[in-house]
Amino acid sequence: MRSEPEHRLPETAIKAWRLSGIIWAVVLWFITAILVLLTLQGGGPPWWTDALVGVLALTISILATTVMPSLRWKRWRYQIDEHEVDLRRGIFIIQRTLIPVKRVQHVDTRQGPILRKYGLSSVAITTAATTHEIPALDDETADEVRNQISNFARLAEEDV
Amino acid sequence: MFESRRQHPVAAITKVLEIIRGNFITILLILFVGGGGDSETLINVTWILGTIVVLLVWGILSWLRFSYRIEEDQLVIEQGVLMRQKLYISKDRIQVIDITSGIVQRLFGLVEVQVKTAGSSSKEAKISAVTQEVAKELREKLRKENGKPVAEEEDEEQPTKVYRLGAKDLVIAASTSGRLGVALSIVGTVFSQVDQVVSEEQMVRYLESVIPTTASTTLIVSSIIFILVVSWILSFLGTVITYGNFAVRLKEDELIISHGIFERKQLTIPYNRVQAIQVKEELMRQPLGYVTLKLDSAGYGDEGGKSVTLFPLLPRKKVTEFIESVLPEYAEQSYTLRPPQKSLRRYIFRSVLTSLLIIVPLWLLLPFGYYPMGLVLLAVLLGYMQYKDAAIGANENTMILRYRLLSRNTVILKRYRVQTVSTSANPFQNRRQLADFTVTVASGSEGHQFTVRDLDADQVHQLWQWPSVHTDSRAIPKEETPATLPAF
Repeated sequence: MRSEPEHRLPETAIKAWRLSGIIWAVVLWFITAILVLLTLQGGGPPWWTDALVGVLALTISILATTVMPSLRWKRWRYQIDEHEVDLRRGIFIIQRTLIPVKRVQHVDTRQGPILRKYGLSSVAITTAATTHEIPALDDETADEVRNQISNFARLAEEDV
Repeated sequence: MFESRRQHPVAAITKVLEIIRGNFITILLILFVGGGGDSETLINVTWILGTIVVLLVWGILSWLRFSYRIEEDQLVIEQGVLMRQKLYISKDRIQVIDITSGIVQRLFGLVEVQVKTAGSSSKEAKISAVTQEVAKELREKLRKENGKPVAEEEDEEQPTKVYRLGAKDLVIAASTSGRLGVALSIVGTVFSQVDQVVSEEQMVRYLESVIPTTASTTLIVSSIIFILVVSWILSFLGTVITYGNFAVRLKEDELIISHGIFERKQLTIPYNRVQAIQVKEELMRQPLGYVTLKLDSAGYGDEGGKSVTLFPLLPRKKVTEFIESVLPEYAEQSYTLRPPQKSLRRYIFRSVLTSLLIIVPLWLLLPFGYYPMGLVLLAVLLGYMQYKDAAIGANENTMILRYRLLSRNTVILKRYRVQTVSTSANPFQNRRQLADFTVTVASGSEGHQFTVRDLDADQVHQLWQWPSVHTDSRAIPKEETPATLPAF
């Protein structure tokens, strides 16, 4: 029986996810505020819609800024060798994916503003069928992982 | 060598038709909704004529700008009226060469050539109007292995083997077609729009005069029957038109599928581009013992979909024989693994839950009281069938998966074609030591996923390692007393 993949994501990933959770929460609260304002003016949706959206915004913002980032970090594992990429992830549904390296068409690293703030990058692994993403790695690790996969893929070159 | 060429001028017309087809709904909206229904016919006519002229000019320009050539083992297409585009497709990246002739092309004895790669740029690699000879020449030049010329013309006329769809089978295929659902929604929509053309008042008056004393339930039932019959006829005709003249030709290293009565389609699929074979048993066909064969190929899918129809209708008994002669690598298979008994309740639960999504709105909206609740029984039955049908088998290089949503689907695929494998389990499955197993192969411009649900978690974990090259992990899971099910 094969064991769990060995590498974890860096812990700064939790901070980055928390920040993006906060941004989401702000957007949600903004929407709620507009709805409430509209209702108060008399022309908007009935009060219970506001309440529903409010409760939803509250739940999501609590979850997205506290439990979810750390749970997500706890679950995320990856491992790369010359033959395959092994990923495990999921908060509720735990998914484990195996990508034979010779199926990899290209690998790229990406970095949005939030990830950049924490010196993180994501790595996207594309096959002829799917794209898988390792959501946050230290910049150096990300470059290393990218080069590693693309080297392995080149060695094992094969057609679709 | 193949110097730079232009298409046949008819390409200008097909371009216009293509634009119209692509924006059909927008155009309808502008014509009917935008027209306001008042007698502004004059304006409408000028508008329509103006649009046609603009489109024609556009079509001619795009014909002028379009050129194609073969240059150092690459197909080069230059096109674009405002945005100039140069497309390079390397010969060994070509997955499928697709030769179609639509009605317009047939009028002029022309064909359309589409070259598909595994990437997403495949849509643009389309030469819409060339003569048959040019198409043939193109295909030969592009299919030629580096250095080695392909077999000569005689091979063209004498393929090793041809499978055709007989008239009787075509009728069976048409009358049990799965297109019924699609047709149903179209007819349903048209029917619901009728009151926009004929005013409601007129309709009621008419109905009252025809059927003076019928209750509204009878009215609903009879209109449902009417919609069903019309849809069935439409789906029947649709299937006959698409799959008429269906033939699969086997050649040395590729197979050629051709079909269609008005619009002739021809696909050339090299054997080594096949990613998976599917045996579909639709709900209406399964009791009759008929199946549909589908094929997944990187770079090609039927309109908007993923898989190509390899053969529209085949008796189940003949499937093994057919696969053996068409794609022998994919033959000989048996199942070794099925969901354990403890997963039966999950199958039934899931099916019932899904059915409630349909039943509850029906129960709320239709005046049938609690009758729709009877559907729950059907859902239980479906869940049980899904459980009974789920199975997986694997040997060194081939895997077979069988599952059912509504129709039963059997997939056969090769280890070296697997793009990714996944297992997934939610907390409820975890508690019962169950997991889902998913394999993805390349198909069309994206992948095609096949999932068998609620298998034993340990065995799924072993299966998950099947594509791995680590030899020690190539253990093929079996039940202690493997159920020897026939493949079909």
